[in-house]
Amino acid sequence: MSSRILPDFELLLPQSVPEAVELLAAHRDRITVMAGGTDVMVAMKFAQSPAQLPDYLMSLEHVPGLAYVLFDPDKGLRIGAKATIAELLAQAEVKQHYRALWNAARTFATVQVRNTATVLGNLLRASPAGDCSCAIYAIGGTVALQGPAGRREVDIDDFWLSYGVTARRPDELAVELILPPPAAGSRCAFKRMTRTNEDLAKLNVAVRLEMAGNTCVDARLAMGCVAPTPLRLTKTETLLKGRELTAEVLQSVAASVPWEIDPIDDKRSTAEYRRQVSGVLLKRAIQEACGAA
Amino acid sequence: MNRETIVGTSAPRVDVRDKATGQALYAADIDLPGMLYGKVVRCWEHAHARVVRLDLSAAAKSPGVVRVLGPQDVTANRYNSSVLDLMVSEQMHDMLGDIEDQRIFTDHVKFQGDAICGIIAKSEEAAERAAAKVIVEYEPLPVYLTADASKQPDAIRFTPEKPGNLAFQLPEPMFPGHALGGGDVEAAMRDADLVVEDVFYVPKQKQCQMEPHAYIAKLDSTGRLNCWTSSQMPKLVQAKLAKLFGLPMSLVKVTPTVIGGGFGTRLGLISEPQACAMAMSVPGHAVKLLTLREEDWVISPSRHPGKYWMKIGFRKDGTPLACDARFENYKGGYYLDASGTAFTAGAWLGGMYKFPALRYKGESYFTNQGLTGAYRGYGNPQTNFVLEQLIDRACAQMGADPVEWRKQWHKGVGDDGWCPGVTYPSCALDECLDRGAAAIGWSEKRRQYAHQSGTVRRGVGVAVMNHTSGAMPMLLEHTACTVKLNEDATAEILFACSDMGQGSHTALKQIAAETLGFPFDHVQLSSGTSDVAGFDIGAHASRTIYVGGAAVKKACEDVRRQLLERAGRHLQVSPDELDIRDKRIFVKADPARAIEAETITRAGVYHFIDPATGQAGGEPGQIQGYVSFFAPHNSPPFGASFAEVEVDTETGEVRVLELVNAHDIGRAINPAAVEGQLEGGIQQGLGFVLSEEMYYDGNGRILNNSFTDYKMFGPSDMPKITTILVEDPDPVGPFGAKSVGESGLVSPVGAVANAIFNAIGIQFTEAPITPEKVLKGILEQGVRDYGSIGGAH
Ligand SMILES: Cc1cc2nc3c(=O)[nH]c(=O)nc-3n(C[C@H](O)[C@H](O)[C@H](O)COP(=O)(O)OP(=O)(O)OC[C@H]3O[C@@H](n4cnc5c(N)ncnc54)[C@H](O)[C@@H]3O)c2cc1C
Repeated sequence: MSSRILPDFELLLPQSVPEAVELLAAHRDRITVMAGGTDVMVAMKFAQSPAQLPDYLMSLEHVPGLAYVLFDPDKGLRIGAKATIAELLAQAEVKQHYRALWNAARTFATVQVRNTATVLGNLLRASPAGDCSCAIYAIGGTVALQGPAGRREVDIDDFWLSYGVTARRPDELAVELILPPPAAGSRCAFKRMTRTNEDLAKLNVAVRLEMAGNTCVDARLAMGCVAPTPLRLTKTETLLKGRELTAEVLQSVAASVPWEIDPIDDKRSTAEYRRQVSGVLLKRAIQEACGAA
Repeated sequence: MNRETIVGTSAPRVDVRDKATGQALYAADIDLPGMLYGKVVRCWEHAHARVVRLDLSAAAKSPGVVRVLGPQDVTANRYNSSVLDLMVSEQMHDMLGDIEDQRIFTDHVKFQGDAICGIIAKSEEAAERAAAKVIVEYEPLPVYLTADASKQPDAIRFTPEKPGNLAFQLPEPMFPGHALGGGDVEAAMRDADLVVEDVFYVPKQKQCQMEPHAYIAKLDSTGRLNCWTSSQMPKLVQAKLAKLFGLPMSLVKVTPTVIGGGFGTRLGLISEPQACAMAMSVPGHAVKLLTLREEDWVISPSRHPGKYWMKIGFRKDGTPLACDARFENYKGGYYLDASGTAFTAGAWLGGMYKFPALRYKGESYFTNQGLTGAYRGYGNPQTNFVLEQLIDRACAQMGADPVEWRKQWHKGVGDDGWCPGVTYPSCALDECLDRGAAAIGWSEKRRQYAHQSGTVRRGVGVAVMNHTSGAMPMLLEHTACTVKLNEDATAEILFACSDMGQGSHTALKQIAAETLGFPFDHVQLSSGTSDVAGFDIGAHASRTIYVGGAAVKKACEDVRRQLLERAGRHLQVSPDELDIRDKRIFVKADPARAIEAETITRAGVYHFIDPATGQAGGEPGQIQGYVSFFAPHNSPPFGASFAEVEVDTETGEVRVLELVNAHDIGRAINPAAVEGQLEGGIQQGLGFVLSEEMYYDGNGRILNNSFTDYKMFGPSDMPKITTILVEDPDPVGPFGAKSVGESGLVSPVGAVANAIFNAIGIQFTEAPITPEKVLKGILEQGVRDYGSIGGAH
């Protein structure tokens, strides 16, 4: 049961990234970072035991300079830790070059949540259902983390460790996400299934294909809600690489997905159903990426 | 041509400005000086358990706590939070077997969320913190989630009065063989050329009204118990509270607050008993009791889920011969209105088609699910899901057109309605079917969709329904109304029945203004408090306009007669020769001979003696009208819905493209409000058939008591909607009106299910029809062209 009152915590409002990192180092496991708070607040209201509650809540509200979405055709897209889903959607280049991410952001939640929730918060929440996470996994990229010893970049492929757990160390602040620059022949798409439109995904999928004509040179396929973290479909990817995207190839790709995923029964759907439609959804995402929706 | 000028217009709703600008005062918004906060401690761990130890000592010492209350600290009287027992005679009440099995705080937990004890503190926060310090030890009991489980001979009895945990079955004296209907069903079935039969499951749907339940209660210095509540039936709440606490009604005052949606959930009591018990322990202090959304979800009654079996026999030519049915509902932990839905589900069945033989059994079994009670439609969507799908199954097998079949066999004027012996005074269902079919493009689309290919299939479906306008003659249909004229000839109307947001008070004002011949804004209407308002059973059974409107009309006619009599004496004509328009009373044959209503009302109130003449001007006395009205009928509305859907055969997803709701409304007092009711009904009907269901783990703990996991259709999920108001004035209803409050959600249920059948040739017996179920059906049975089923064309 939730509560009408929030549990006690101390609110920390650092004024800069270094100060934020200092606070993280000082309180480590007893502190929770809050960006938009759309996950954090829900978790606090529904916490089952005091052990799940932080002593300190560090809001990034007063940390300047993190609310950017910057595109450079040579360097790619940089998304600051405070950039909201709505701010991402406002960038024409995102729609043009990172279609999968734009579509994930567009179907994401409701206007009110999009105005508050951040893109990085979605990655850091490390939920297997995260929509932006799924799209970003397919696109590829790195998460920049700032710690007491300096900055390091973690490849998105190495970012999610288990349900709710990332490669971020307790004393590190995620500061930005960097997506690769668009390449010629690169196409991407995102699709999700929900119970009603305003819902968390029961299944989501994103693809990034490097195409030469009708031949797929390289592929990154990501699927959500089918494992404890967002999942790369690496085996299925091999069925695409170097292949012409014929109906038969798409069929074999679709048939391969259920073998690569490990879904569960939960409130949003069943393991059986997720397996049944996983290949269909992937096939449709590939078709959409190739413009054959 | 209607001669009315106010009735039949879409007057703006009286409540919208306040609601849209946040000025409406809901119970939760009201703060009284020195107010305390209550918190009900509930059992969240178990759905069935006995309390073996309750220790309130730590909670009592928690900062800010004023009182803690266990079962011993409140009245030991039991109650029934539903109000149906007040709406039937003593005799009937005994025959139905109505019982009072609820307690303010219990030591036998019968569903997750049952109330254990209460905390009163100086702040909401202090109350919640203290609640966490209450120590309760439970002895878990076996959990029964279905009728099949709770009816087992070794199952623990929920209450001594009900062996076998059978809370209710249709009583033998009134329903021989515990069945509703008549004719020889067995014999008729033997004669049938075609029999269709299946077992269905209908879901536990929640009203999801916007305003969570909230109350304020106070025992004032005169010893009166005051309760502010947004109940749908304030007068019956007053009666129930008086009985529970052993007080004369004069010592119980109920103040209705703005209602943030009802849909049946506020029919009767919810937490008024707890709020009032708390207030009585701290005399002089108001106690506010708020409910969390997740809490509201489990403590207020939902729609009745259950297992619904039905069998229908036909002759080859389509003639229906017999219908045999049985609905076993999963009542939840307490009795409430166990007799209600168990009966009405069969009543709507009996009211629909001309079955020469019918046998319907309705049974309510206690279970450890959350409470069930009234939800808009009251048994009707359940029957619609079952009956309308079986009719379409038979139509497909017989090669009959579902629209034509329904036109031929539905009941109409002169036939028995849902209650045997009470015949339909009006019925415009044929016109609903014709206009609805035209709007959706029925014939072309049925032809087109009979044979399809590809992964996405489309289908159109139809379903019909009958409902009621008020619950006469099964339940009391009594409403009092007072109309008082001010000296400036404006009217103040007192009518206890609440407006839940459906626009009823707006339409009632229109009826009043029309009847009086006054402008809309010169009429005021309010529910008052229990101190001033007369008797009324409340807003349920789609009665507010049909019964309440008739009462308002009669009370206004009383006033109008008095005005015309005084005007007649003044103008020296008979009152029959007069009319009122815009507050001017004139001779019909000679409109120049007139007197302003205000001249009469002013003279009636300010009755001075002219010192010069020693004479008074005009006639003395403030004009008031009154009626204590009993509805003479229940003029059922009919409706036809048409749905077009698209089924993705690879994912099982169903998209509703269009829904047409054609409704036999009699007369629309306020067309925009009627359309609003039909549209809102569609939203809830779609939820019933496609997405909404409360579900539990094996231990009876709810898994989706929040909007995160209980999915209603939101704005972007809604299809294109067309509402068609078929206006064929009813001979009984006020200005010809019949009801529309509940009925709009009923037939969208069957129409969508039948559209899915048309699209993929598969019927689904469990609602809601989720993509998971559809895909399973497709994988098991294969997509079939509708045109290839039986004799379908
Ligand atoms: C009504 C509603 C609808 C939703 N719908 C969707 C949906 O459709 N799809 C979807 O994917 N999600 C959805 N969500 C979940 C949520 O909105 C997203 O996960 C969102 O992206 C989280 O961003 P935030 O800024 O609110 O994160 P927060 O709640 O502030 O934080 C999320 C997590 O990230 C950590 N964190 C955030 N920023 C940093 C940082 N800079 N450094 C280190 N740690 C950090 C926090 O500690 C926390 O663990 C929904 C939530 C709600 C309430």
